[in-house]
Amino acid sequence: MSASMSHDSSAEPNLTPMLDMVFQLVTFFMLVINFKGAALDLSLKLPVLGSARPLDTEGHDELFVLNVDAQGKLKVYGIEKDLKSYIASEARVTAAKLSTSNSKFKAGDELPTMVVLRADKGIPFKLLNEIIKTCQEHGFRRFSLKAMTKAEGS
Amino acid sequence: MRFRRRHRKSKEEVELNLAAMLDMAFQLLTFFILTFRPAPIEGQLSLNLPPPVPITNVAAEQPADSGDAGMASTNSLVIAIRADHDGNVAGVSVGPGRAFVGPANAYNLHELDRQLRVLFGIQHTPYDQVLIRVAPALRYEDLMKIIDVCTRQKLPDGTRLQKISFTELLEPGATN
Repeated sequence: MSASMSHDSSAEPNLTPMLDMVFQLVTFFMLVINFKGAALDLSLKLPVLGSARPLDTEGHDELFVLNVDAQGKLKVYGIEKDLKSYIASEARVTAAKLSTSNSKFKAGDELPTMVVLRADKGIPFKLLNEIIKTCQEHGFRRFSLKAMTKAEGS
Repeated sequence: MRFRRRHRKSKEEVELNLAAMLDMAFQLLTFFILTFRPAPIEGQLSLNLPPPVPITNVAAEQPADSGDAGMASTNSLVIAIRADHDGNVAGVSVGPGRAFVGPANAYNLHELDRQLRVLFGIQHTPYDQVLIRVAPALRYEDLMKIIDVCTRQKLPDGTRLQKISFTELLEPGATN
């Protein structure tokens, strides 16, 4: 027994609702994506401090992020860098930018950039102090010490 | 000038091929899902760290007119933090007095906070910044607890204390 049927019309799914949903998802991910997050080394274990508040610069301040592990090594986008030369080069670039935009700025003046220090909670003060002193020697005065507001997993 | 519009009646319906657009949208979606990293909830402590100056024989109660060029000549309250072999806090002293001996637990930190409130609450207090002398081995985690207590203090004008300096606490017998 065979039953052969021939159809002229083909069944096509309506793709419009699926496209709508996918575009909504794309919109969501576009809005929440944060490219600056790539500058953060998420493997670091920051100290936990309940009173720490999120950094709100309202987009006015320039941030200079330093990820420092427990051995005092600096990592920039996952690549290990020499701390002193990196800070010196950043200070030079910032000073050059300021001197072109602000005629009153002189070499050796205080830099308005905020140093965001993301250091591992196990780093001894001796190493941390070296970093802070190096930044100060190159004109940085404003510091933001990063901490977790609550312990991971809690 | 009026244009005539020709109305064409046709039975043919124009249908967009949505499959290609859907393919592209899925590719975009895949990219965003793969690169999505939710930012961790991080807080921060803002500090205004004054430029480094040479420090010699810092004494908390040193008179301001002593002529010493070190930081003690400014209105700094000196807090010294000692550490044990594991890098934990072993004791904290405020000025010439002892704040607490032992780890930086909640009770001891509360005691430190109480002492600092008394010092900064005095009218015409001579202090407008804190100099923290830290044992080199002290871990950053424990240091942050002390800094947190310091940044909670309010100056007589109502502003929060933000000027904090750090220096290494040298062991007895070591030369500065």
